[in-house]
Amino acid sequence: MIFEAENVVKNFGGLKAVDNISFSVEEGEIFGLIGPNGAGKTTFLNCVAGALKPNEGTVILFGEDVTGLKPEVMCKKGVSRTFQISRPFPRLTVEENVEVGAIFGAPKDHKITAKNRVDEALDFVKFPLSRETPAEHLNAVQLKRLDLARALASSPKLLLLDELAAGLTTGELEEIMDLIKKIRDRGITIIIVEHIMKVIRGVCERIVVIDYGEKIAEGKPDEVMNNPKVIEAYLGEKRISF
Amino acid sequence: MKITELAGRKRKMTGITNILQRVGFSPSGFILLVVLAVLPFIPPFSSEFILRWLIFGAFLAAQAVAFDLTAGYINVVNFGFAAILGLGAYTSAILANTSPYLIVQTGLTPWIGMFIGAIVAGFVGFILGFLTLRLRGLYAAIMAWFVGIAILGLARNLIKLTRGSLGLSPPSLLETSSNRPYFYIILTMMVAIYIICKIVTRSHYGLAFRALGQNIDAARASGINPTKYRVFNFTLSCFCAGLLGGFYAHYFVSLTPQAVMHTSKTVEVLAIAFIGGRGFLWGGILTAFPFVFFIEYLRSALPGLPGLHLVIYGVLMVLVMIYYPKGLAGFVVWAREKIKIYKEEKNGGF
Ligand SMILES: Nc1ncnc2c1ncn2[C@@H]1O[C@H](COP(=O)(O)OP(=O)(O)OP(=O)(O)O)[C@@H](O)[C@H]1O
Ligand SMILES: [Mg+2]
Repeated sequence: MIFEAENVVKNFGGLKAVDNISFSVEEGEIFGLIGPNGAGKTTFLNCVAGALKPNEGTVILFGEDVTGLKPEVMCKKGVSRTFQISRPFPRLTVEENVEVGAIFGAPKDHKITAKNRVDEALDFVKFPLSRETPAEHLNAVQLKRLDLARALASSPKLLLLDELAAGLTTGELEEIMDLIKKIRDRGITIIIVEHIMKVIRGVCERIVVIDYGEKIAEGKPDEVMNNPKVIEAYLGEKRISF
Repeated sequence: MKITELAGRKRKMTGITNILQRVGFSPSGFILLVVLAVLPFIPPFSSEFILRWLIFGAFLAAQAVAFDLTAGYINVVNFGFAAILGLGAYTSAILANTSPYLIVQTGLTPWIGMFIGAIVAGFVGFILGFLTLRLRGLYAAIMAWFVGIAILGLARNLIKLTRGSLGLSPPSLLETSSNRPYFYIILTMMVAIYIICKIVTRSHYGLAFRALGQNIDAARASGINPTKYRVFNFTLSCFCAGLLGGFYAHYFVSLTPQAVMHTSKTVEVLAIAFIGGRGFLWGGILTAFPFVFFIEYLRSALPGLPGLHLVIYGVLMVLVMIYYPKGLAGFVVWAREKIKIYKEEKNGGF
């Protein structure tokens, strides 16, 4: 088991944004985390990545209790993430953005230089523009690609993707699904938060559904999506596309 | 024979250019520095009167470099900058004191006192780095401002140490009434501070500073420890400020809390650094000299308006921040790029 969450709780004042979530992910798995808007998905990822400290519960990585560690420490332990709203470093160039992940996030390895990691990550996401482009000149989709390259450059073992596919065209969706599978094939375990069910169906082996911070279902994507509780939770939800 | 000689010379030239580049000078930047260095021998700059302007220009320029290390890289405006510079100045002045009316009478030579002042200022910068660690942008600036006000308050109220608002008259650094040697001292300080800051920002520290300044969440998620880099940044910037404070004390030989530590002094440096362009370090140097000349000229032309220079700083700074946030340095870089492209087009093709 590479990752386990046990009874994770995160409160914002009176609001239970994450309420007693538990699940575990096996090495090499692509695990989906879905739920309606405001369900607490991003908050949960923040608890895993160290951006937020859970109020209760434990986060376990490779059998080690890593609950409440700082984000920079989690990164060094092999957890990388992309952001729901990708806004990396606007006044750095594309190359420098990825360099940040490669220099500070990756474990020291004398065989692979930071430069190698940058090249590899940018090639891997097939970044379409010049590396000298300042990030502030990129559009939303290009920023997502850049954010992914930055996260990959730090050689993660567990990658957290927060709505990476939002705003993509159908063609780009296929490409991103391909990319996600290729990342997994390199031995990286992935937890993916996504509203686009096509992506979830296409790549995930297992998913959990959360609603109002609580886990309401867990299992294979097709089974879970026919679960009456899940259908009810998504009733009236506009952003979802089955 | 001739050709090889020429090639040899060319190789030598690129060797020098490389060394210059490594310490942060472009060939044109280096030429400007050389011009600056010979200026005190060329009339009218060789007059004592104008030498003082040059000294003040270099003093402001060096401050702008140290200030930009924090403001232009980690994006925190250190509003306590002048107070920390003043702390360095006061430390050195107090240690140099021999007057029996004050409690410290060590009579230490300013040459050592200046460095102790820099270390004390650097230490306060270290503390300030921790204090502002959890704060973003404006809040960090306000915290730094409060620390500055506290230091100013101490300088005013520890009368047995500082003579309060009356101020101190520290001994001068040199036993000469000529300004020229002082100019070379402050010019050396300016170049040293620039080179040190440039080397730091060229290294992966610079990348960490900029990443933290532009998106602290993404920076931390990428493994950057904000404590390490922010505290280091504040310490270095404040150390430089403290050293410059020492120069101030022993050049102007008069020190009052109001004249060195007041927030308006920070604003002056801030304006020069911002107009020069944030995140370049040399933008402030390029701006400081013409500015001092311009403002001193205005001051002699319109003697009845004491605060005028601050108004001009303010207006220009706002204009730059709204219409051209890259500042003078950004413009120079842009123009250089254009010229390069133009030259390539002219030389390329058939
Ligand atoms: N920093 C915060 N302070 C207070 N409340 C917050 C904070 N962050 C999130 N919330 C609240 O917590 C709840 C869960 O938010 P979260 O962003 O985790 O949802 P989500 O599942 O990611 O939604 P979406 O699909 O829209 O991204 C929401 O009600 C949100 O308003
Ligand atoms: Mg979210």
